Amino acid sequence: MLRTTLIKALNAAKLSPKHVSVVSRASSDVAKKPEKIEVFIDDQPVLVEPGTTVLQAAALIGIEIPRFCYHERLAVAGNCRMCLVEVEKSPKPVAACAMPVMKGWRIKTESEMTKKAREGVMEFLLVNHPLDCPICDQGGECDLQDQSMAFGSDRSRFTDIDFSGKRAVEDKDIGPLIKTIMTRCIHCTRCIRFASEVAGVDDLGTTGRGSGMEIGTYVQKFFLSELSGNVIDLCPVGALTSKPYSFTARPWEIRKIDSIDVLDAIGSNIVVSTRTGEVMRILPRTNEEINEEWLSDKARFAYDGLKRQRLVTPMLRGSDGELTPVDWETALLSVGKVLRNAGSSVGAIAGGLADAEALVALKDLLNRLGSEDLCTEHTFPMDGSGSDLRSNYLLNNKIAGAEDADFVLLIGTNPRFEAPLLNSRLRKAYVHKELDVALVGPKVDLTYEYDHLGDDPNVISEIASGKHPIAKKLKAAKKPLIILGADILQRPDGGALLAAVQSLAASTTPSEGWKVFNILHKVASQVAALDIGYTPGVDKIRENSPKVLFLLGADEAAIDKSDLPEGCFVIYQGHHGDQGAVIADAILPGAAYTEKQATYVNTEGRAQQTLQAVSPPGQAREDWKIIRALSEVIRVPLPYDNLNEIRCRLHDVAPHLTRYGEAENANYFKQAEELAKTAKSSNLSGSPIDVKIKELKDFYMTDAISRASPTMAKCVQAVLKQKQSKY
Amino acid sequence: MARYLGIDKVFSVLNIIKENGGLRASLYKLYRMDELKLGTLVGTDKYGNKYYQNKRFFYGRNRWVEYAPQYYLDYDGSQVPAEWYGWLHYKTDLPPDQEPFRPKYKWMLDHVENPSGTPGQYMPYSTTTPKIEAWIPPKK
Repeated sequence: MLRTTLIKALNAAKLSPKHVSVVSRASSDVAKKPEKIEVFIDDQPVLVEPGTTVLQAAALIGIEIPRFCYHERLAVAGNCRMCLVEVEKSPKPVAACAMPVMKGWRIKTESEMTKKAREGVMEFLLVNHPLDCPICDQGGECDLQDQSMAFGSDRSRFTDIDFSGKRAVEDKDIGPLIKTIMTRCIHCTRCIRFASEVAGVDDLGTTGRGSGMEIGTYVQKFFLSELSGNVIDLCPVGALTSKPYSFTARPWEIRKIDSIDVLDAIGSNIVVSTRTGEVMRILPRTNEEINEEWLSDKARFAYDGLKRQRLVTPMLRGSDGELTPVDWETALLSVGKVLRNAGSSVGAIAGGLADAEALVALKDLLNRLGSEDLCTEHTFPMDGSGSDLRSNYLLNNKIAGAEDADFVLLIGTNPRFEAPLLNSRLRKAYVHKELDVALVGPKVDLTYEYDHLGDDPNVISEIASGKHPIAKKLKAAKKPLIILGADILQRPDGGALLAAVQSLAASTTPSEGWKVFNILHKVASQVAALDIGYTPGVDKIRENSPKVLFLLGADEAAIDKSDLPEGCFVIYQGHHGDQGAVIADAILPGAAYTEKQATYVNTEGRAQQTLQAVSPPGQAREDWKIIRALSEVIRVPLPYDNLNEIRCRLHDVAPHLTRYGEAENANYFKQAEELAKTAKSSNLSGSPIDVKIKELKDFYMTDAISRASPTMAKCVQAVLKQKQSKY
Repeated sequence: MARYLGIDKVFSVLNIIKENGGLRASLYKLYRMDELKLGTLVGTDKYGNKYYQNKRFFYGRNRWVEYAPQYYLDYDGSQVPAEWYGWLHYKTDLPPDQEPFRPKYKWMLDHVENPSGTPGQYMPYSTTTPKIEAWIPPKK
């Protein structure tokens, strides 16, 4: 297992206290700020910390040194040699990415020697690189193309094509997501380093040496990771490209729209590329506070699910029991009639992909009809303060905060598949810092080592009482995190579990401003729904048995026909024909997240908005507009006519919902904990803690969009195939 | 004398009306075809269209067709069969029944009028797959 820290290695070797004291003394020396050193880059003076590389020092004053293998978020490899620069009084050019600067160095990035070195490196790279840019998917966004234009020689000395020809490498099959054209590979090893450092799947490596060197898995094996798609972005050439995107569009003909991913609760920042009114691909957008520059495979590749199983026209269930397409007028009039007749006996369930605008519009509509039965599909215990205090249901310490933790206790969650980018942060802290992880729940592969404390919920009270060996570690930790999966709170003793974890969090002694108690949600809409005032869980619907049930994208089959009274009219509003649409009596086609400008709040309470990349298909419309139109039909018009007005309404309900990009902090941990003690059932049941997504195959298809995606289905097949393989 | 007074015009109008089968029939023909002409009947095709000629009119207007009554107002040029097309457009001066070399084989298809605007018309269709696949509700 890759773990870089020296102290860790020393601890593992069980050294005497004397040695440890030496180490700690050394670390205290480091804590004393060292003097900055001055270097000159192209005669510009720059002051840098000792240990800064030439490349980083140059970046500080805006001089970019060309590179292929170097990447800020990966270990330095120094094998492409593209970043060679001249240093005065040095006989040879030095690799800028790996060389720490020395005091008084004069670095020349534009000198004759540097230029010659770059030209030579570029020439060697191109000797074995095919000239297939016109049919290469990287064409137009290729580092090799750009840099050979900028730094390469203007003429070729390549004559070898008449003799032995260019090197050719057989392509590898590494899964349904990544297409490999290994002849194009320039051996930068970024993909290898990503796989072993960030993804934690040590499958990629090199075999052979010299011109026989190959990147691959050595044996036929799929590169199966929940973060595998990122190697496509990392690859500076077209050796690793996206399989679903292959040969579909060129970078100069696509429109790029900044948006937010909603397929998990992390809210990764994405760029949606569209062409001819179609989503062509989804790429990550850098946001240091959320996803850095990575993206999970589901967010990246499930976009083809947006083109299948779509609801494109309103439908009504006829007298023959079949759903038949109708026009909007008919649909709205008949739904309006049903709603008017039902009076206040109306319930609503919001699904995991609903946006805040639609949620608030639906709540306003139902409240005007006299109903309070608004529920979310995913439940949360309402004992104690329930959803009244925001700190109860947020990832309070933020996603980026997970990197600084020194001890993490995961309870009933599998962050690797529920929130891959949070897990990559935890792994980062594990690899580069001193993070220890313990887990209560089923034994799963988190890509790093952890203490498995079993799946008995009583472990939590044992830790709280100090009986458990892990309790000492938790008490001693300066920055402990307890991350509770939202899934296990669906258990009947969820309230008690929440209370137990809250008191456990309160018993720790964190440093100032550090928040121990964290909830990790699984769906994008949950936090917004709870902020707006929805009741978590569908029990209310079961109890009140409404005459009309409004499903807002509720596709997890939390409720079925047998839970509803005879003759209950089910309205489904959403974008995919999934479980909700099947039981519906009326279908109102809504827009998916790439088709509307909408607000989502992620699990840390950060409001972000998606922007419209394409128009909704067919007669589908934006969700809040449908509800607004419906309110007009039933003569209780809602007081907003455009996006600004409904956002004002959002602002009235909860001001943080429109402060985009900012994560609103939650407090009152103490009060929440005390209220939790008053919960009705404070006894934990003995049933083991379980999580739904245990393996990679469960990760791919979790919502209406990814269930409709053929690519995700292929991934599941690939995982199953890999399981049967002997490697 | 009558010619100088212009009365012969009145006579010729009366004659045309008479030749076309009286006032009622003439008005009907005028309503149907916006035109009332006098000519010699050259022939009739098997659909009932009648072909007339009157050399008094100038070239281009002196051969015409009166469509069969069953077409009423829905007549158009494509209802003229191929064999009469030649005579009507001065490709030949002989009506088809008098033409000695006109081929006549068993396999020759019957004339078909243009189906545009009818259910039999050609409709262009897309050969590409749709960008969005709609959900089809499961049958009960």
